[in-house]
Amino acid sequence: MLATNNKYVGLLYLSPALLFVAVFVLYPLVQLVMISMTSESLLGGGEFVWFDNYLLAFSDRSFWTSFWFTVRYTLIITPILMVLGFLLALLTMQNRALNQIARGVVFLPVVIGLASSSLLWVWLFDQQVGLLNKALVDVGAIEQPMVWFNRAHLGMTAVIVSVVWKVVGFGMIIMLSGMQSISHEIVEASMIDGATYWQRVRRIILPLSARAILLATLISAIGSMLAFDQFYLMTGGAPRGQTFTSVYWIYQNSFVYFKLGYGSALSVILMVVIMAGAALQIALQRRGESA
Amino acid sequence: MPHVELKSLSKQFGTVEVIRDLSLAIEAGEFCALLGPSGCGKSTLLRMIAGLETVTAGNVVIAGRDVTQVPPAKRQISMVFQSYALYPHMSVRQNIAFSLEIAGAPKAEIAEKTQKAATLLQLEPYLERKPAQLSGGQRQRVAIGRALVRDPEVFLFDEPLSNLDAKLRVQMRLELAKLHQELATTMIYVTHDQVEAMTLADRIVVLDAGRIAQVGSPLDLYHRPENKFVAAFIGSPAMNFLPAAANGGEGRAVSVDLAGAGSLSVETRHDGAGKTSGTLELGIRPEHVSPTAPADPSAVIDGRISMVERLGNATILYVDTAAGNIVVEDESESEARIGDAVGLAFEPGRSHLFAADGRVI
Repeated sequence: MLATNNKYVGLLYLSPALLFVAVFVLYPLVQLVMISMTSESLLGGGEFVWFDNYLLAFSDRSFWTSFWFTVRYTLIITPILMVLGFLLALLTMQNRALNQIARGVVFLPVVIGLASSSLLWVWLFDQQVGLLNKALVDVGAIEQPMVWFNRAHLGMTAVIVSVVWKVVGFGMIIMLSGMQSISHEIVEASMIDGATYWQRVRRIILPLSARAILLATLISAIGSMLAFDQFYLMTGGAPRGQTFTSVYWIYQNSFVYFKLGYGSALSVILMVVIMAGAALQIALQRRGESA
Repeated sequence: MPHVELKSLSKQFGTVEVIRDLSLAIEAGEFCALLGPSGCGKSTLLRMIAGLETVTAGNVVIAGRDVTQVPPAKRQISMVFQSYALYPHMSVRQNIAFSLEIAGAPKAEIAEKTQKAATLLQLEPYLERKPAQLSGGQRQRVAIGRALVRDPEVFLFDEPLSNLDAKLRVQMRLELAKLHQELATTMIYVTHDQVEAMTLADRIVVLDAGRIAQVGSPLDLYHRPENKFVAAFIGSPAMNFLPAAANGGEGRAVSVDLAGAGSLSVETRHDGAGKTSGTLELGIRPEHVSPTAPADPSAVIDGRISMVERLGNATILYVDTAAGNIVVEDESESEARIGDAVGLAFEPGRSHLFAADGRVI
C-alpha cells in the first residue's frame, strides 16, 4: 500500500519535468518527424509523401557537402576546445584569488550570445578597420590586410578562432569541476610516490577527469555539429556555399526555399547521426573505463 | 643520532598558529604515535614531516639530512592516508607498483617487489581488482603495500584505521604491530584513538593545541601524567578530578582536604611539595577507587550511586558525592544498584595532585 502510494507521489513530483519534456521535446520531435514525411511548404499546403524527402536527401549533393564540412569543422574545433579547456582548467585548478579571477575572465565570453560574439569578430577580422589585420600587418605576418571570408579554409579558421574564444571557458568549467572532485589525498599520494607534475596530470588527473572530459566533448561536438549562427553571420556560406554547415543548409531549405518538409527530413537525419555519434562516444568511454 | 628530528617547528595558517615551536627526536625503528584531540595539530605535523605542508619556522631532519625544503618524493618517506588515497582507476597491482613505475624501475624489479608486498599483506588474490571492489581492510592493506614497495626510511600513518569498523580496526592494529616487528622501520602514526596509540606505540607524543603536552611510553603516560591534560586524555573511563585544598605536609607528602570528606595524604613526585598551599585538584583513575560500605573506615568519601554500567568484565559506577561525581571501575561483578549509598576508598599511592595551572605536583 505504502509502496503504491510512494509510486504515485513520485510521479507527482516528476510531473512538472515530464510535462516540460512532453511539451518542449516530445511534441516538437513528433511534429518534426511528421512534417518530414510531407511536402509542406512554409507558405502552406503540401501532402504526405512518405519517405520521399529522405530519399531525396541521400542524393542531395549540397546537403552532404554541408554535412562533411560540418564534420570537418567539428573534428578540428573539438580537440582545440578540449585541449585548451583542459590546460586552462589545470592552470586555474587551485582556488587562489588570481586563479578565480582568471576563471572569470576566460568564462566571460560564454555568457555573451553567439550572434553578438560573431558580429564582434566580423569587425575584428574586417579588412578595412579590423584590429586583427592591423596587428598581423604590424608584426609582419602578412603584407597587407586580407579578406578572411572569401576563401573557405580562411573563413573556417576565422570562425574557429571566434568560437574558441567564445566557448573555451565552458569546457574549462566542466573539466575544472571534474578535476576539483579528485580527492586531495590521491594527488598528494602520487606526489609522495614521486610523480612529477606532468606524470600526475597524465596518470592521475587526466584519467580521473575522464567523465568530465567526455561530457565537455559531447556538449562541444554536438554544439559544433549544430553550428549555424557563427557561419551565418561571419561567412554567410561564402564562397559559393562552401561554408554552409548542415544546419545552415537546413535553414536555407526551410526558410529561404520554403521547403519545410524537406528541411525537417534533413533535421531528422542530422539528429540521428549526432545521436549515433554520441552513443558511440559514450560506449567507447565505458569500454575504456572497464578495461 | 635520532632518525627523525623536528627542530623548533612552527606552522601558521594566516594568523592561526597550529604548531608552536615543537621539537622532537624519534629514534630509528621506533613506533611513535602522535596522539591528541581533533584540532591539536597532529595531522598538520605529520604533513610537515611528509613535505605536504610548508614549514613556517624550524627544520625537519630525516636520516641526518635536513629535508625542510625537499619535496615529498625525495624525503625517503611513505605515507598511508586516512582515506587510503588509492588510485581508483588502477588495479591493486598498478597501485602498488605505481611509485616504482614512474621512477623507471626495471620491470623485473617492479614485479618482484609488488609480489613481495602482496604476499606479505595477503593481497595476492586481489591483485587484478580495482579499489572499489575491495573491502575497507583490503584497501588499507593496499595502501600499506603501496607504501612498502618504496623501501622508505620512515612510514607515516595518518589515522589509517579510523575508517574501519571496530572489529576490523582491532585486526588491522595487530597486523600493523606485526608489520612493524617484521620491518623494524621507523613509523610515525597519527591517531586520536588512545587505544591505538597505547597498543601500537613504543612512545607516544601527546599534543595539545600545537604543543607537546608529554612524551613517554604508553604506561608512563598512563601512570605518571605530567599535567591534567594528559591525565584526562589518557584512560577510559577518564580520570576523576576532585577539587582539593592543600593543608600542609612534609617532604613529598601533601595533606589535602576534599569537599565533603576528611583529609587525605597524597604522595607527590617532587621533594618539598609538602609546602604546597592553595587550591589544587586531586586526580584518581576509576580503577583505583573501590566501593565499600558507607562510613567504612577505609572510605575517603561517601556518596550515592546515580548510574550503573555493567560491561561484563567490569562494572562502572557513577557516584554522586559532596566533592562531585566520581566514576568507579569495579572489576568484581558488582550487585550495586542506582540509589545505593556507598563509601569510596582510594588506592594508596595512586592519586595525583595538579596545581591550578594543570601541572602535576
